[in-house]
Amino acid sequence: MHDETMGSGIYLPEISDTIIGRSADVHEFEFRGNARDYFRIWIVNVALSIVTLGIYSAWASVRTRRYMYANTLFEGSPFEYLARPIPILRGRLIAAMLFATYVIAGHFSRPLQLATMGVVGVFMPWMVVKGLMFRARYSAWRGLHFRFIADYAGAYQWYLLVYLLMAIPLGLFGLLKSVGHPLAGALLLFAGMFAFYPWVKGNQQQWMAEHHYFGGKSFRFTTEIGAYYRIYGAAFGIALLCMIPTGILMGIFFNGLVKGHIDPKTHPILIVLVSYLCLAPLYITIWTYTHVRMTNALYNQASLARYQMQSSLEFGPMLRIYMGNALAIIFTLGLAIPWAKIQVVRYRASCLRVIGEGNLEEFTQRASDNDVSATGTEIDSLLGFDIGL
Amino acid sequence: MSRVGDSLNWRGADVAGCAPFSDIEPSARVIGVPFTLWLPDGAQLQIAHDDMPADWFARSHRIERTVDRLERMRSIAIVSIVVVVLATIGLFEYVLPWTADRIASHMPHRAEVVMGRESLSVLRGRILLTSQLPADRRAHLQQIFDRFAHGVSGLPPVAIAFYNAPAIGANAFALPDGTVVFTDDLIKALPDDRSFLAVAAHELGHQAHHHMMREVLRSSGVVVIAGMLAGDVTSVGSLASAIPVFLLNSHYSRAFEADADNFAFQALAQQSIDPMAFVDAMRALEQAHHVSADSQADRYLSSHPLDSERIARAEAASRDFRRTQSERANTLARQ
Repeated sequence: MHDETMGSGIYLPEISDTIIGRSADVHEFEFRGNARDYFRIWIVNVALSIVTLGIYSAWASVRTRRYMYANTLFEGSPFEYLARPIPILRGRLIAAMLFATYVIAGHFSRPLQLATMGVVGVFMPWMVVKGLMFRARYSAWRGLHFRFIADYAGAYQWYLLVYLLMAIPLGLFGLLKSVGHPLAGALLLFAGMFAFYPWVKGNQQQWMAEHHYFGGKSFRFTTEIGAYYRIYGAAFGIALLCMIPTGILMGIFFNGLVKGHIDPKTHPILIVLVSYLCLAPLYITIWTYTHVRMTNALYNQASLARYQMQSSLEFGPMLRIYMGNALAIIFTLGLAIPWAKIQVVRYRASCLRVIGEGNLEEFTQRASDNDVSATGTEIDSLLGFDIGL
Repeated sequence: MSRVGDSLNWRGADVAGCAPFSDIEPSARVIGVPFTLWLPDGAQLQIAHDDMPADWFARSHRIERTVDRLERMRSIAIVSIVVVVLATIGLFEYVLPWTADRIASHMPHRAEVVMGRESLSVLRGRILLTSQLPADRRAHLQQIFDRFAHGVSGLPPVAIAFYNAPAIGANAFALPDGTVVFTDDLIKALPDDRSFLAVAAHELGHQAHHHMMREVLRSSGVVVIAGMLAGDVTSVGSLASAIPVFLLNSHYSRAFEADADNFAFQALAQQSIDPMAFVDAMRALEQAHHVSADSQADRYLSSHPLDSERIARAEAASRDFRRTQSERANTLARQ
């Protein structure tokens, strides 16, 4: 399912026109949105969504996207988001019902819950394709729509079958555990996961990029699977390194609690909050790292006709932005969320560009022959690129 | 650009044309986004927002026009913040619990039975092991439990069960199907039958008011609504919404615990047992938990209101009980 909270939007690029020494072959993105305007849209959206018990959230997400797309300019022309709220509302209601069934079923019978999970799992690849087609169809630039070619076989391969493959190490782990080698099983499980996961992620990116079209041309993707192993390997290393300060932090906190004669049993909420406080930086750091590297991997391997995409997000600045955002959101009790989003979008836009000779006229010209073909590639998942299962 | 009757005329540096209004598809209004008019031939016109007279295309995008008007008002931002706070409180304090409780009261008893069996089948053999208590001790407790429950009005069918559960220590809990589970450690920790009945009365309060079913529906509602809202409200995803979900659920279960306590005080007083027995049970439990410091999964203490508060309320109930007892004795003596 599209995870709107993670990919958070469209995050195209920006760069000011005043940059000197700009090569004619480099086409920049620019983000013109500002936190002031977006705050007004956002706060009204949130209020209406809560008052209508979530029904309005379909309109809210359409208006948010329209604002974000329209303020993202490429070669001086804005992107457009053209979807209508009603189909989105329908999708959300179905998702909410499935989710509610799953949650409630868990209390009544395990088999029913597993059945719900199975149904969702079987339909997931189909939903991934439909979601990508929908977003692509309603995303446009200079009047020309993106397009996603439905490839159900590929979707089932990369979003269902490969996960069944990943069940092999899990099964082996269970087997080894039952015969009394839990440690060997855990090592095998970890090794198996590490062998599969980067490979799966890389192929998913390739599949998604190559089925997107713009102006009658498909995106090309040169996959270097080794890059994904490096990304996840480094993420694991960072996780290990981060556990040292996190452990020390937790030790200090809990030691302080014991010294302060606070009985953990009578203050469970305090304990949960403290644990979150200690774990959140670890989580944000690892998430940011994989996010930055995966986004770069996606764009740097993608090209369209003679144009090569380029993303130069960096871990340091991105981490500063996310940490700053997290603090700002906590200290304003959530009111800084619009500002935080704008920060991220702006930075992402500033790091994205398209390199290639020509002035992109070929795309605009095609547009006029082609009339309005309701197809397209989806900016959001292509650029925001996070399909989580 | 101008309007002539029912058609729109436009003239730019190198383009010009006209089209009837009915064939033009306008975009909805959004702050900071120019208007787009899609013309019948597939071309489009972009117009700055302020250049568009409000009465053109007055009939399209009605919902969004209204919303857009709200978004442009400066005062609405402040009003919205107030609305968000009030609506959130109203939603989670009143609307959601009320709706969940209505649904729970229409749930067939069978659903609770299924739910109870499900949780028992998960726990039995792993956490709940066969009781090690002597058979005559169990029979005695069973007997006084049945007699006590018989005297409490408004109860669904209830049953008592004993298990040896070292993992959760001295503990008692109610299952949705009417089963009240006591652990061996709890029975060993309680000083007398009256304190045993005090704990039983608390669990019967959960049964009488169907707290387990209501809690399940409420917490499911919280998770679903949080998921719906999180699509737009939060950006850190699960991490940010997990804390409020946790806080809300413990808020609800605390209210249920206080409710069960009050039920217990009344039920005890009705059967002429001093609610002081509840205080004795609490003290004994506290002692037991201090001795076995390793019990981490401590439902009995963790989701219950602060012990000192509960003890204070039990003592107040006990004072009431004694006052009515002595009044009754006085009237009897006078007669």
